[in-house]
Amino acid sequence: MKNRKSKITKTAETKKEKLLSFLKGQGLLIYNDLENGRFPQFSIPSRSVSNIVYDKKLRQYVLGNSSAVRSARNMSQLRSYTQLAWLAFFVNRLIREGKSSTLRDIYYSSQAFTIDFEDQPESDNIIVDLEALFSFPREDFHIFPEERSSVFGDLTIEYTVRGYEGRRVNLSDHPDGYLIGPSLSSAELVDTSAELVIAIEKGGLFTRFVEEKVHKKFKAIIVDTAGQAPRSTRALLRRLNTEMGLPVVILADGDVYGEHIAMVIKSGSANAAHLRELTVPDAKWLGVWATDIEKYKLPTIPMTESDIKRIYDLQKDPRYQEGNWKTQLEVFLKLKRKAELEAFSKYGLTNITDKYLPEKLEISKSL
Amino acid sequence: MSLTKETFSQISPSEFFYRNRDLAGFSNPSRSLYTSVREFVENALDACDQKGILPDVHLSIKAVEPEQPDPKAYILTVKDNGPGIESKHVPLAFGTVLYGSKFGLKQARGMFGLGATMAILYGQITTNKPVTVKSCSDGKTLEEYILLLDIQKNKPIILKHSTKEGSKTGLSASIVLEGDYSKAGAKIRDYVSQTSLITPYASITFEDPAGEKFHYPRIVKEMPSSPTIIKPHPHGIDVETIRRMIADTHYQIPNVDNKMISKVRSELGLVKKNLNPKEILDRAQKRWSNLSRPVRTIIAIMSFLNLDFDGLSKTRIDDLDIANKKLTYWDFGQSQSHVVELDSESSYFKQLANTVLGETLHTFLTKRFQRVGPTTADKFAEFAGFKPEKRIGSMTNEELVRLADSLQKFEEFLSPDPSCLAPLGEEPLAKGIMKFFNPEFASVIQRSASAYSGFPFIVEMGIAYGGDIPLAGVKVYRFANRIPLLYDEGSDVVLKIVNEMDWSRYKVKGDPPLVIVSHICSTRIPYKTVGKENVADRPEIERELKNALQYLARKLAVHMSRQGMADMAKKRANLYSKYIPLIAQFVTELSGNKKEPNYKQLIKKGSEIEEPQI
Repeated sequence: MKNRKSKITKTAETKKEKLLSFLKGQGLLIYNDLENGRFPQFSIPSRSVSNIVYDKKLRQYVLGNSSAVRSARNMSQLRSYTQLAWLAFFVNRLIREGKSSTLRDIYYSSQAFTIDFEDQPESDNIIVDLEALFSFPREDFHIFPEERSSVFGDLTIEYTVRGYEGRRVNLSDHPDGYLIGPSLSSAELVDTSAELVIAIEKGGLFTRFVEEKVHKKFKAIIVDTAGQAPRSTRALLRRLNTEMGLPVVILADGDVYGEHIAMVIKSGSANAAHLRELTVPDAKWLGVWATDIEKYKLPTIPMTESDIKRIYDLQKDPRYQEGNWKTQLEVFLKLKRKAELEAFSKYGLTNITDKYLPEKLEISKSL
Repeated sequence: MSLTKETFSQISPSEFFYRNRDLAGFSNPSRSLYTSVREFVENALDACDQKGILPDVHLSIKAVEPEQPDPKAYILTVKDNGPGIESKHVPLAFGTVLYGSKFGLKQARGMFGLGATMAILYGQITTNKPVTVKSCSDGKTLEEYILLLDIQKNKPIILKHSTKEGSKTGLSASIVLEGDYSKAGAKIRDYVSQTSLITPYASITFEDPAGEKFHYPRIVKEMPSSPTIIKPHPHGIDVETIRRMIADTHYQIPNVDNKMISKVRSELGLVKKNLNPKEILDRAQKRWSNLSRPVRTIIAIMSFLNLDFDGLSKTRIDDLDIANKKLTYWDFGQSQSHVVELDSESSYFKQLANTVLGETLHTFLTKRFQRVGPTTADKFAEFAGFKPEKRIGSMTNEELVRLADSLQKFEEFLSPDPSCLAPLGEEPLAKGIMKFFNPEFASVIQRSASAYSGFPFIVEMGIAYGGDIPLAGVKVYRFANRIPLLYDEGSDVVLKIVNEMDWSRYKVKGDPPLVIVSHICSTRIPYKTVGKENVADRPEIERELKNALQYLARKLAVHMSRQGMADMAKKRANLYSKYIPLIAQFVTELSGNKKEPNYKQLIKKGSEIEEPQI
């Protein structure tokens, strides 16, 4: 245990150092270009649809080889070049000073430097450029989205954020769970007795699981993804999997969106194809499967047209071409009905934790 | 059944125009006021042009009773520094319709001096007030006339005539007429200002009823070269015109009165001496080449009637029938009519025939038309199926129609002589445009002369862009024979050409600050309507306008792309001076340096990059 911990600390420190030296390296390159009267330029991997490909080995979407040059020589790129240079400068400060900010913060902070973004989408876009340029997620640059999800269970963390350095917290101390925010994301994972991570789509069920002591019964850390899992949540799930060696299982609504929530945690999204280390390739989708709807006689509601369209879309995705992923999509399409996680309440509030969860966990072992 | 009794009576030109005043632009008080201003101002400018005087025109409009609501009586006064009109001509010039000196074929603003008289007539009809004319033609005496028109008789009635000491030549006319300045004011102000644009060699002052003065000073000091009066081109001729021209070439058999007899005697050197008929003829033969045409005709008649001067004084020639070779005369002494057979072999018969039947077709063509030499005349005669020796006086109606048709169809006449045209010239036009619009860019062109239906014309055009011109899209100023055309824009050929233009091909976008000045000069502008406000789309004129406009648009495009490059360079310079220092600031901290890099060189480089032209 102790051995592992020091290794983790070292990894986190190394990552920060690596990032800072990347930034400094870029800074020096540009500095020298300016000094020598050369137009500086960035070469940013292209994020156009034609350059997003599925990597079967990595089991996630990645960017292809084409990249676009953004040069200060080109008058129409000069502004966005400067914005990107500013962002690199700004996150360098954030990292060094140990401060965090949000996407919206970035938009407003830019105004202090006469880097005028037209609107937030423009600044958000530059942030994605920065991610693509360095192949690090924005969270590593201390930039966080507004949405928050939470985590609960026996996991001891040690903060690295300024003012809390070295302070430790156990994440089972507060029954509502802990927000997966900047401090938690940057904290070091110290110790856990858990043997499993259960990611669940809905806050209501998350609370039920805590109440029913699922964390104890199943030795689990429970993560509320609050719908489609935000990047910070996916990063935490990955760390729990890789750093702490815990298997990850996913429970989501019994519909095409639920299935895809599980898929994104497992193998990422096309939007984040420029990023690595956000996926949990070995994560398992527990349910609710389309076949569970009949098996457990769950009350259902009819699918909407957009639900059905979504099924057809996903059927073109290379990740849905085989196995259970493919089978369940086909059954959904046949049923044209869906069931939410709450549907189990028809058979008693604890039905999902007492009956469904153990059965599915058993099945998952053979997946 | 009832019978309606109709009376037929001849009406005078004055009465005709009085009854049809709508045709001449006097349909209502506001239009009439505008038309009157135009007629008087144009007369004043024409008068100065003809004598090569730099015009100085003062126009004033004053209400008789300012408190009254419109329409009401206004006093319109136009004063110029032209040659003035000789005292004896003043009453006729201002008191008769169709009296004037503008019958020759050359370009002028007005035609026939008709409009001013119409204005006087209109004023008299609406207010019953006379016209006051002050004229000084010799620089010494100023003649003042107060006149009314006798509409039925088309004659002036002089109410008052006085003479004062004058100092310089010029003419001032003042009429009282019913007008509506509240409605016509904007047009009149436009008219005056646009006139100053196309007449940059004139100084024009306008005082409006409120006492406000608009002064347009002279921009150029040189008069444009003045047009010459020329003969008509065969293509521009119709049957009626030919008939009139032939009538002009006929010589009257002179009236044999005492005055004529003494003229004959003096030309023969027989003022006091009397001779017998034979001696008279001998003497005439010796002096034949020195005799005037009427005297020759009289001698020919004397030869057939065998008369001396006494006999001649008692004779009146009634008819000369060349076809039947008969001469009819009245003998006062016998109070009796006589008929004499004429001997066609006699050389005197030819003299009489020439007089009555006019010239040969060959002579008629070469002498009366431009662009017809002896060879062309012969070729034409063959084309039209006439003998060149054919006497034009002997042509029947059908033959006249054939002649007129053939003149229009014959293609070997050279194109009309443009020396009768008076374009403004490129330099004065350019100066006028610069002064008037204060643009960022201007260019002008004068196309070489062209012709439609035998009428020569020249297109002059100017283009102006930017500067003080508002961003309001293309604005077109139309002129014809130095007159601004303000009404009926929509159907005009110039507008059509401008609207058909694809401006984006010339780097002009959106609602550009663009002005086009178009001037068509011709001995006859093909107006679409009697109102003379829009020019019809003759293909020849259309082609010239299009060529002129395209030429100017190309000039503008060159300017625009130069301007575009300059703007781009400026924009680049601004961008690089803004962003490069920022980048330097960021990377200094990012790279851990203390001192900013020296980026001056890069700003300079960035500003100088040439963007590829799209």
